[in-house]
Amino acid sequence: MTQAPPRPTSTAPVKLVGQSVPRKEDLALLTGTARFIDDVKLPGMLYAKILRSPVAHARVRSIDTSRARQMPGVVDVLCGADLVGRVKPWGDLMQDLLVGDHTPFAVDKVLYEGQELAAVVAETKYQALDALEAIEIDLEELPALVDPEAAMAPGAGLIQEGITYEFGDGNIFDRYRVRIGDADAAAEEADVVVRQRFTTNRQAGAALDPHGCVADYDTFTRELTIWSSTQSIYMVRDVLADVLQIPRNKVRVRIPEVGAGFGSKAQIFPYEVIASIFSMRLGRPVHLVLGRKEIFQSGTARNGQVRYAELMCRRDGTITGYRDYVVHNCGAFSVWGNQVLHIGTNVGMLPYAIPNIRIDGDIVHTNTAPGGALRGFGIPQTIWAKEQLVDMAAAELGMDPLELRAKNVIRPETFPFTTPMGQIIDSTSMYDCLHTSAEAIGWAEKKAHPVPYEGVGLAVSMKYTSCRHPSFDTDLSAVRLRLETDGTVTIYSSDVTHGQSHATMLAQIVADGLGVGFEKITLAAPDSVTSPFGLGTYASRGAAVLGTACRLATERLRERVLTIAAHVLEANVEDLDIGNDRVYIKGLPDSGLYLEILASFAAYRTHQLPPGFEPTLEVVATYDTPTEREGADGSGNLSVTYSAAAHSAHVRVDPETGYVRVVDYAMAHDTGVVINPLVVEGQHQGGFLMGLGMVLGEDYLYDADGHLTNASFATYLAPTATDMPELTKIYEIPAPSLTIPGGQKGAGESGTGPVPAAVGNAVFDATGVRFTELPITPQKMLLALREKERQGAVTFRFPDDMPDFTGPRTKAEWPEPDLTDAVDFDWDDLPGFDDEDDEDDVDGGPAL
Amino acid sequence: MKAFTYLRPGDGAEAVALLREHGPDARVIAGGQSLLLALKDRSARPPVLVSLRGVPELAGVRVEGDELVVGATTTYAQLTRAELPGWQATIAAVAGDLADRPVRTMGTIGGGLCAADPRYDVLTLVTGVGARLEVLSSAGRRVLTPAEFFAPGGGTRLEPGDVLTAIRFPGTAAWDGVVFEKFRTRVFDAALASVLCAVRLDPDGALAALQLTVGAAVPVPVVAVQTGSALVGTSAAAVDVDAVARDVVTEVLPGRGDTPALQYARELVSALTRRALVRALAHPRS
Repeated sequence: MTQAPPRPTSTAPVKLVGQSVPRKEDLALLTGTARFIDDVKLPGMLYAKILRSPVAHARVRSIDTSRARQMPGVVDVLCGADLVGRVKPWGDLMQDLLVGDHTPFAVDKVLYEGQELAAVVAETKYQALDALEAIEIDLEELPALVDPEAAMAPGAGLIQEGITYEFGDGNIFDRYRVRIGDADAAAEEADVVVRQRFTTNRQAGAALDPHGCVADYDTFTRELTIWSSTQSIYMVRDVLADVLQIPRNKVRVRIPEVGAGFGSKAQIFPYEVIASIFSMRLGRPVHLVLGRKEIFQSGTARNGQVRYAELMCRRDGTITGYRDYVVHNCGAFSVWGNQVLHIGTNVGMLPYAIPNIRIDGDIVHTNTAPGGALRGFGIPQTIWAKEQLVDMAAAELGMDPLELRAKNVIRPETFPFTTPMGQIIDSTSMYDCLHTSAEAIGWAEKKAHPVPYEGVGLAVSMKYTSCRHPSFDTDLSAVRLRLETDGTVTIYSSDVTHGQSHATMLAQIVADGLGVGFEKITLAAPDSVTSPFGLGTYASRGAAVLGTACRLATERLRERVLTIAAHVLEANVEDLDIGNDRVYIKGLPDSGLYLEILASFAAYRTHQLPPGFEPTLEVVATYDTPTEREGADGSGNLSVTYSAAAHSAHVRVDPETGYVRVVDYAMAHDTGVVINPLVVEGQHQGGFLMGLGMVLGEDYLYDADGHLTNASFATYLAPTATDMPELTKIYEIPAPSLTIPGGQKGAGESGTGPVPAAVGNAVFDATGVRFTELPITPQKMLLALREKERQGAVTFRFPDDMPDFTGPRTKAEWPEPDLTDAVDFDWDDLPGFDDEDDEDDVDGGPAL
Repeated sequence: MKAFTYLRPGDGAEAVALLREHGPDARVIAGGQSLLLALKDRSARPPVLVSLRGVPELAGVRVEGDELVVGATTTYAQLTRAELPGWQATIAAVAGDLADRPVRTMGTIGGGLCAADPRYDVLTLVTGVGARLEVLSSAGRRVLTPAEFFAPGGGTRLEPGDVLTAIRFPGTAAWDGVVFEKFRTRVFDAALASVLCAVRLDPDGALAALQLTVGAAVPVPVVAVQTGSALVGTSAAAVDVDAVARDVVTEVLPGRGDTPALQYARELVSALTRRALVRALAHPRS
């Protein structure tokens, strides 16, 4: 008798979360088959182009489009005057304003170079460009306010006219205050107070995939479909519907492949409104994709800051206080700009539990490009100032900067730990990250044996994972999950993947929870008709917030699948397990019912279902984080959890050319439970590169008239692959989040926050030059070295100690923040709102 | 981009005839690496483009007598691959280290010279080694020195209808060593400053000729004639590199620094001069 071969026994299904599963997204991208916004072609499609202001600040005398209308191929032309009273201004929702301050075109006044003046739609894009040249504009140019402090000066011209912000009529549209403990007393009592004025640069999102959209209005159904290269479909849908005053269920936002955004596509833009209006007027699809110069000029840039920052320490190195006055440059408009100061400063206080904090911030309009969200959202700016102050304090105290940081980083005995600022730190490995990163760069050895013109620097930060924006009280994402009748699974989400690998990451979660093969899971493209409501992809929230919604949906669907299986198998749910695409009796993984059978019962053979079971296997789960709103004192736990980042830079400065090369760089992060290490490492590399660009090259160079002089990739110095050091020293030290059920933390922005300060500290170590402005270009580096030599100085501040520096050099010269309270808004104060019944007004007097 | 008529002459004479026929409406296009950018943003809008791509006589590298003749439409990539003897190897090295690979593949040496952006390395190269530039027009052929070819304030002195056909580099005996140094912020950027050092030695090792040429930081490459000629007769070992660098800066970028950019340009020229000199004098016959 021959012996039968042993029957293969199944092993338990392999869990995918935690593994470097190759990305589902890569095939289309690597083979060039991915379809981006400029690839969207619809039958009968027209092409629109925008005429943008050639000057930064002007009154619009007239715009004559009559000649353009006669040009070959031109179908329609619009300018600001055509739309007055026909569209609603926007920007109120995100900024928490009473009325919006954004319009599709400048109407009476141009506020920045590149602002929309008119638009043409034609049969071809070349005809549209030709017609733009036929539009006659008459502008009365006004002096441009480029510098945010100049924009606040008494007598400075008013940029936004006709809009009353909380703080009156000036160019300040919001103020920010933090009052934790007593920073003034801490300064009195401190053994060491270090202080410095720091400034930061404007940085572009510089996504390679341009901003753009294709609008397609159906004149019969009266439904507007808009394809847009955006990070948030519901922000586009809801604001667009509001602007056009049409029902939100008549606006459908669809998403092509989005080739990155970095925060620069996390809002609605005028071009989306303009293309929609054209399509609604003409009943034809309208393509409107911006050129690179337009994106530089108008696509939102990182907000620049001036910080008058002070750090207080005891002799033993304990940080006791932080005080800061911030002038925050939001450009001419900004949907998100004021939030950048709030959140970036709140979270920027980490990873120290500073007991006394006093911050005053003025959020200012200038005649420059709109400020907005950009990777790091204010944290790189805060860290640039604070982490350099930490090094300055270490020098005053005669302490090793590593030791000073180790003494102060959050390292509680128990979690969750609440900081004086109100952040609830549910877990962190910051202390270990700090040491791992420093050791990897050879910190102790390099400090012991300094090499001329080489230096090392540290910086630490924590990045929020998700955010409850102060103006915008929500922090949710949602997933709809459907087990299809062939055993495949479709994930629906409105959070746009644009580099975050949602298709891979969510499929890993679903595969583990539902026992479905990874290859059977598909993420549907975001579409406001089919996708559940969610806020979008920003704030490093994908893995933690969207991931949690996906986990909840997976659990719900699993429970429903098991309920059907238990009924069919006449078993108890507790005796069943799920895996290898089937439900089986525990211990017998080769037996059981395939999911496709159970799914077909739920749809096609509903008599097989348990009595009372609602058919189909489709569930929705929404997760809103347990975060807090910002308190009146600036405190609050705005983020669901916090990712630690400790970075160490080793730089070499060429004393003949001023070129700064980062020769080695180590990053240690706490990203909690990592779903896909490959993806997270990619995020850290990309985050680092943006930080590197911020510190060593990128900037919006404006002349005195507000012209952006480097609006092209040839002249805007974004780093390229050859500028990167070998990033072989990337470490994860996971401290799983205790709040997020799966333990995840955000990964996308941890790599950016510490980079400018770490490199700045390393440059100081190498040269004795403390850069207080960004970026550190070779020219500035070399001129600083020469001036330092000329003065015979041991240490030198650039630009503060340059002979031609005109700003304040010492605290005695620093400006004082205006502490006036916000104006209490009262409808009765508005002309035309006399309410006869309201006698109280007479007694109370006007709030002004 | 605006619509244009694209003409493809088969030889130089036909190209010149087409340019004459279309007058100021026509522009020559070779590799297009400068002109296409200008066409795209509409800063150039010629109704007619006369392409030199199909003109075989304008491409390729050949030796004529002493001279190395490089056709104007020879691409940087082709130059990089040319195996050139003696100091001429520097021509290939310069061509292989400018811009990025796509530009080197499409871009031509003649196109770069006619675009005449001082930040392009080939301007400093032809000026520094004393190449001559051969130009064809309906009036016939003429050969220009770089000083005659480039306008002093920047750009070229070419007239409408002129076609740069070849660059005539001197023979291998002209120089014992040629070293090119440049500084750019990112590796694919055009130079912020460049310096070319060409040396020829006497049999006894003294400098028979030293030509230091500064590019990029000036509107058109400048030869530091006084500095170089003052060193003739000096032994290579006796050259005070720092002093020469100071002299070059004084000669080429005179005056004191008014703007930070000008101050920085002086620093770069000084540093690059030192580097070029040190390398050129260390191995003058390499």
